[in-house]
Amino acid sequence: MTKRASIIGVGATKFGNILENPELKDKTFQEMVAEAAFEAMDDAGISPDEIDAFIVGNMLSHTSQIYSHSTLLADWLGLRFKGGFHFDTACSTTNTGMGIAWQMVKSGKYKNVLVVAGEILSSVPKGNFPLEREPLDAATLWEWTDFGVDHVYAYHHFYDIASAYGAFPTIGYMKKNGLSFEEMDRVMMAINQTVRKHSALNPKAILYEKGTLEEEAKREGFSSVEEYWRSNKNPFFAWPTRLFSALNAADGATAYIVSSEPERFSKKMPVDIIGFHWCVSNYPWYEDDPTYWEADYRAFKEAYKMANIKPEDLDYLYVHDCMQIYQLILPEVAGYVPFGQAWKYALNGDFAFNGKKPLNVSGGRHGGGHAFEASAGFEVYEIVKQMRGEAGARQIKPFPKIAAQHNHGYGMHSAVTILKAGE
Amino acid sequence: MELIAKNWYDNLAQGKIMGARCLDCGAFTFPPLSVCRQCNSRNIEWQEISGNGQVIMFSSSILPAKKFAKYAPIPYGIVKLEEGPCFFTKVEGFDCSSPEAIAQENSKLPQKVKAEVQKMEGVNIVVFRKA
Repeated sequence: MTKRASIIGVGATKFGNILENPELKDKTFQEMVAEAAFEAMDDAGISPDEIDAFIVGNMLSHTSQIYSHSTLLADWLGLRFKGGFHFDTACSTTNTGMGIAWQMVKSGKYKNVLVVAGEILSSVPKGNFPLEREPLDAATLWEWTDFGVDHVYAYHHFYDIASAYGAFPTIGYMKKNGLSFEEMDRVMMAINQTVRKHSALNPKAILYEKGTLEEEAKREGFSSVEEYWRSNKNPFFAWPTRLFSALNAADGATAYIVSSEPERFSKKMPVDIIGFHWCVSNYPWYEDDPTYWEADYRAFKEAYKMANIKPEDLDYLYVHDCMQIYQLILPEVAGYVPFGQAWKYALNGDFAFNGKKPLNVSGGRHGGGHAFEASAGFEVYEIVKQMRGEAGARQIKPFPKIAAQHNHGYGMHSAVTILKAGE
Repeated sequence: MELIAKNWYDNLAQGKIMGARCLDCGAFTFPPLSVCRQCNSRNIEWQEISGNGQVIMFSSSILPAKKFAKYAPIPYGIVKLEEGPCFFTKVEGFDCSSPEAIAQENSKLPQKVKAEVQKMEGVNIVVFRKA
């Protein structure tokens, strides 16, 4: 095995809406993906000639209109005649990609592997022509997305993602920690305030232009953020989970390059992949404690073991937050904060970039936006930028040296990867 | 391999709700799969469930699955079966007309329920009703 598997370059497009955002408007899927890939190549100082293979993530073929991703992207990426394939673990895809690329370069077969993904959730091409798109309604988007859920039994039994993934784990967390609904609602607002604080500092985030929750409340004519939070602008998605505690669907693409010879390319600091683990379970078959998903426990434990670290070694954690309740459940599972305490950290603002336990500083899947298979790459981008000290106004100080990234791939593929600042 | 899903749905059409008992570890799997969900053994035997269970959590989404949108709001719960496993489905007799009603119903849980078969959108499924 070669010694290193290091991320030498990262790229991400703006996360937004391909029909509206000037950074994305009128781009094809291929162009969006190429933009992220070229940023990663330029960041690493590597030419396509030096890349041996590339792997591509994309979930909704309905909107991208692509099946054979690597062949259809080869020319657009400058990677004709290279090795490539499509891979897919849903929303954890570009987390899983780090482990796959690790194995590809560690084996010695490949030296430099590009991991890239794109997703379009806002719209579908009319008449299969990519430059004429019509908006995709939420019900159809979720009908397609829910192919990630058991369709032999569960889906036909009135499957309800907002309850199963949001409301029940929230009720479970309240019960476990003796929190009333009013207390829990206050905690969820505090989480959202931090989410929006982060996205307001991240120009690539979908909610960047909308500023903080406090600014938005004022703009909407509310006298306080609490009043805005409890208003009909923020209805219950499924009680006790409000709409602002859920993801914002986004269009976007992300990319990174994993190399066994980082010293040959980037003058910037490489980031080493030192551990990973994947653990799957069919969903929604959890038992009577909706805050306990064994796949998450196993994924963290084995990734730490491979990396030879302990939870207390972490300087930064990202957890998949399609629903913000996971910003409470998963930092406890990860050992980043003690069990039963995450809600206190959230209330104190300790999860902010300048708090004592920085968490999801990109803005996560609500503030940053959720472009399904590209989303984990948005977090790889964030971690690499944070470790290098290139995160601008949301820079964590001192720069994090060891980070864990967790993603849920619907449903449910738990992927955890451990990253370490290189030399 | 014997047909599993087809047999299960065919049984529902006869009013019989089947699960699978593992003859190796004793765990109960519901609905049946090709293996025991606990120990992965293929040595399983189908058994009709008692139909008794308890709703332990309950809510309702403003964005239900497209297939069922016309039935909104849909009371949706986690049912803990007497045999052990939890199952997620529609729970009849629970008020989900407002967030306050959902909160109120949750404060009264667990609530005993009984299974029944309902034909929804051409498919026989298992729902539970307040006992």
